[in-house]
Amino acid sequence: MLIRVKDVYKIYNEGHENEVRALDGVSLNIDYGEYVAIIGSSGSGKSTFMNILGCLDVPTRGEYFLEDVNVKELTDADLSRIRSLKVGFIFQGYNLISTLNAYENIELPLIYQNIPAHKRRDAVFEALERVGLKERYLHFPSQLSGGQQQRIAIARAIATRAPIMMADEPTGALDSKTGIQIMETLEELNKSGSTIILITHDNGIAAKAKRVVRLSDGHIISDSRGETAV
Amino acid sequence: MNLLQSFKMAVATIRINKVRSFLTMLGIIIGVTSVIGLVSVMQGYNADITQYYEKMGVNKISVSLTMYNFSDSVKMYDKLYEYVNKDLSGLASGVSPAMKTSGTIQYGSGTIEDTSTVYLGNEQFSLCNNYDLKEGRDISYMDVQSANHVCVIGSYIVQELFGYKNPIGETIYFNSLPLKVVGVYYQKDGTTESSMDDAIVMPYTLNKEVLGTVAVSAYTVKSVDATSMTALYTKLNAFLDAKIDDTMGKFKLTNENTEMEASDDETASLSLVLGAVASIALLVGGIGIMNIMLVTVTERTREIGIRKAIGATRKAIITQFLIESGMLSALGGIIGIIFGFIITLIVGKAMYDMILLPMAWITCASFAFSIAIGIGFGLYPAIKASGLQPVVALRAD
Ligand SMILES: Nc1ncnc2c1ncn2[C@@H]1O[C@H](COP(=O)(O)OP(=O)(O)OP(=O)(O)O)[C@@H](O)[C@H]1O
Ligand SMILES: [Mg+2]
Repeated sequence: MLIRVKDVYKIYNEGHENEVRALDGVSLNIDYGEYVAIIGSSGSGKSTFMNILGCLDVPTRGEYFLEDVNVKELTDADLSRIRSLKVGFIFQGYNLISTLNAYENIELPLIYQNIPAHKRRDAVFEALERVGLKERYLHFPSQLSGGQQQRIAIARAIATRAPIMMADEPTGALDSKTGIQIMETLEELNKSGSTIILITHDNGIAAKAKRVVRLSDGHIISDSRGETAV
Repeated sequence: MNLLQSFKMAVATIRINKVRSFLTMLGIIIGVTSVIGLVSVMQGYNADITQYYEKMGVNKISVSLTMYNFSDSVKMYDKLYEYVNKDLSGLASGVSPAMKTSGTIQYGSGTIEDTSTVYLGNEQFSLCNNYDLKEGRDISYMDVQSANHVCVIGSYIVQELFGYKNPIGETIYFNSLPLKVVGVYYQKDGTTESSMDDAIVMPYTLNKEVLGTVAVSAYTVKSVDATSMTALYTKLNAFLDAKIDDTMGKFKLTNENTEMEASDDETASLSLVLGAVASIALLVGGIGIMNIMLVTVTERTREIGIRKAIGATRKAIITQFLIESGMLSALGGIIGIIFGFIITLIVGKAMYDMILLPMAWITCASFAFSIAIGIGFGLYPAIKASGLQPVVALRAD
């Protein structure tokens, strides 16, 4: 099993008046090669869940096994290696580095993967081609539109060739045509073996996934597969 | 993540924040400039003193002699003269009385009041004190024996009293004592007032008329070279010890080279102290770097979060920030060294009239020190940056 989440809680300001139970006892298994959509309304805990799955955050309580290893027992360096080699992130807020241009932003995770320069170059341009922004590679984030920034962020994740892709509202800032293009890219990646975890509040987008997990107030309220998913 | 990449990243950030980078470096620049400047000024002072000693003539032993009986004192001259010139001819190149006084020197309507040094010597005086004859003749053995009223004058006296007129054969007056100018020395000290060129030399045998005593109370013995100094000193000491017992008088020998070395040591340790004081400026510069790096870390929290999220290890983040602060301080060090060179050149020219350059060791040391400061003070901010939780950093704005 790739991902095994057992009764995970993420509670902010526990015991205080402003306590928030972002995740309130979540259990979930995801296998290699799955394409899972996590759907829920705003504030239901989707991003919080993704951060934990991607080893960016730790649960308040509960266990998370990635490839049967309890992440609680991993060192900081192990977690860095997982984030570098196993997970490709597409964040809700793009999270590009403003002082680096498009090319350098996409290249950065490959540098941390210790990939040699000429191979990085090929991978960066291939990813840029996939998101249709090849000619914009010297632009800085501030010189790109929201949708273009989103696509650079997607290219950055794709270029890593990480086996797990985590996308938080990847089409949120895109028009329907570009959105469809991105969804096709994710499907292709899934077909070639990647595990996709897609976060969205859009039922139409979620329908592309083979499995839909519905979150509400930190609880999983449904988990369905196949055509009947949505 | 290799070092080359970290360097590229650091260069990029430093270039993006040019003004801030410069302000950050300012502390280091000022620190290095002042360390190099101060030590160089001391070095110039030192070189100046050495030059002074060299003009005065090195390899000299001064003898001061107090005899209770005048005739003993006069006889002592002959004994010492013979001993040095015969028995010590392999070690010593000459000996001359070294009494000096001052007073008014007058020629025609021109006078020089009190600035000049008036020496009473013998025919070996110029040899012992590094004066070279330019025109005429030097004080001769005969002049000394017959107490002739003759003198040799320095270039300042020529300039002040004679101008373009030939002084040879003219008579000048030292406190109304007439002296015929027989020779002129080359300039050796800039022909200025009170310099070594503001001097006249006459036979020591005129001392009765000039000093009111026949006693010869001071000598200079010139060694053939620096290595013979110790042997010469020992020989002279033994000789004088044998000739002068406590009932006759007393004597004192001074190795002038040792005096020079002592003053060298003194300035060396003084420059070390000054250098240490100036390095406090460097330290303050380091604190400036730490301050800015801490601000940078706070400002770039989100960037650090992104970097960690996409796979940067703690080590990579620490390396990145350390290289950044190390490069800032190294750059500051280089600029400081350039300023230090400029200041040293200016000060050398203005204060000592010589081409002065900072010594290699102080240049290297201050450069190494500034890098060490950059890395040392960059360490805390770097560790702080690397310890940020990715999710916390990502939420920052
Ligand atoms: N650092 C925090 N401190 C306190 N509460 C937090 C913190 N981070 C998130 N929350 C809360 O946790 C809940 C879940 O947030 P999360 O970002 O996971 O929502 P989401 O499902 O991704 O919503 P959206 O669709 O709007 O992105 C929200 O109510 C939010 O206010
Ligand atoms: Mg969200």
